[in-house]
Amino acid sequence: MRKTNNVIKIKDFKVDKGLPFDQEYNFAYLDENTKKMIRRAIIKALCIPGYQVPFASREMPMPYGWGTGGVQVTASCLTKRDTLKIIDQGADDTTNAVSIRNFFKKTSNIKTTEITEKATLIQTRHRIPETPLKKKQIFVYQVPIPEPLAFLEPKVSETIKMHSLSEYGAMHVKLYEDISKNGHIETAYAYPVKTNDRYIMDPSPIPKFDNPKMNNSPAIQLFGAGREQRIYAIPPYTKVKSLDFEDYPFDPFKAEHACDICGSKNTYLDEIIVDDAGNKSFICSDTDFCNKRKNK
Amino acid sequence: MIIPLLKVTNLSKSYDNIVGCKNISMSLYPGEVLGIVGESGSGKTTLINCLSGNLEPDRGKIIFNTNNKETDFLNISESEKRKFIRTDLAFVHQNPRDGLRLNVSAGGNIGEKLMSVGYRHYGNIRSLATKWMNKVEIDKSRIDDLPITFSGGMLQRLQIAKNLITSPNVIFMDEPTGGLDVSVQARVLDLIRSLVNELNLTVIIVSHDLAVIRLLADKMIVMKNGTVIESGLSDQVLEDPQQEYTQLLVSSVLHV
Repeated sequence: MRKTNNVIKIKDFKVDKGLPFDQEYNFAYLDENTKKMIRRAIIKALCIPGYQVPFASREMPMPYGWGTGGVQVTASCLTKRDTLKIIDQGADDTTNAVSIRNFFKKTSNIKTTEITEKATLIQTRHRIPETPLKKKQIFVYQVPIPEPLAFLEPKVSETIKMHSLSEYGAMHVKLYEDISKNGHIETAYAYPVKTNDRYIMDPSPIPKFDNPKMNNSPAIQLFGAGREQRIYAIPPYTKVKSLDFEDYPFDPFKAEHACDICGSKNTYLDEIIVDDAGNKSFICSDTDFCNKRKNK
Repeated sequence: MIIPLLKVTNLSKSYDNIVGCKNISMSLYPGEVLGIVGESGSGKTTLINCLSGNLEPDRGKIIFNTNNKETDFLNISESEKRKFIRTDLAFVHQNPRDGLRLNVSAGGNIGEKLMSVGYRHYGNIRSLATKWMNKVEIDKSRIDDLPITFSGGMLQRLQIAKNLITSPNVIFMDEPTGGLDVSVQARVLDLIRSLVNELNLTVIIVSHDLAVIRLLADKMIVMKNGTVIESGLSDQVLEDPQQEYTQLLVSSVLHV
């Protein structure tokens, strides 16, 4: 066998010790021109609440569907003074949250936290924290499909027209079908909302339990869809209304249980199968809230 | 004096060098049913598509006069135009699958137009949909069934219900009985005729079937090569055709 000098030795691999700050990267990974482009899209999105602004989404070092849109928005908003919190399904310790948090630790050396009140920037997948958001916080959603009309109208040229002319009749057809099939509105997540009495918007796959938290929130809410290359936003103190029928009003459903860890009765719960007999446990999906309540 | 509901002046539309329709002028009065006949390629569909807003004509004027308001159809903004189409016009396609959402239940299909003009009460939408299912003779127990489970004739009746529910001012029908077998055709025609009488509808109906025109239309126009060659009361035109082509058309109807 021929010998080469290119044999990779195991000891050449760097051992990843808690991911130290890597100064080879530009601050928060993206180059400054890209951040500028994304910030422009964000500003436009804030000016037209609920309107989807196209942007030149970049290839990120993670697969589509893992929050590439949210990560780009976060990277563009991040400053050295920020404290970052990342949650995935309400939890700070799940794969998506941990990997994105490590990504920003490594590329920007900023402070991170698990405590909602202490964070200045929060990136989320599928939840809004139970602790109310406050002024000067930026809240970034990861969005898989930004177009709420996509399931009704596959043509993008047509959905753009429907948005621009406020032709939203078809949106209620979906809710109508829900009621006629199930007796109530079955849609439980990504429940469509009307923002600032104008644009119908997909709130990303948060449970409809969280929809009321978007309304009149003091925080800035930004939505990034990486694969679909869209950014949209809700500026602070903006009206966000969930669609419904007069005789079937919007109902922010949650499981009829209290949290088995902290006892909270008014938080969103995860249902967990705990043994082979099919016994269930209900616990808060917001780990930060649950821990704080338990320790009180 | 009665003001025409629709007045068309010198309407022309061509596709590159091919003439779709040329210098069409006509008017339609409230409660009238106008038949458009002609052979394939004579410009019937081009004309009806221009009038209903599906196509942009090259030249001419289309004036609607609905709800005491004049609408210059070709000179309004796109949003006004789409709103007008939504509230004042209806289009029954030859193939009901073009006019229905096949993955949405019958009730949802009928209710969609109501929701698009602002109905937000499920119970009301549902009861209106049920009422219209009755009107078009579809059993109301089928309200939650998908259109794909319906027969051809039922689909066409469903499409008619979907279009009429918001009481549009002008209804366009493009060969509404085209793809149906004869007995089903008769039933759909019978339904259209009774709805026209009952609700005093204003209809423009395109067909190459003279029997359909004789049964439904008060007035008719005959088209050939994109132009109107003969027009008048349908009985008159069919009994005493003046143009050679119309004579040929009338004489070529099969009598069984």
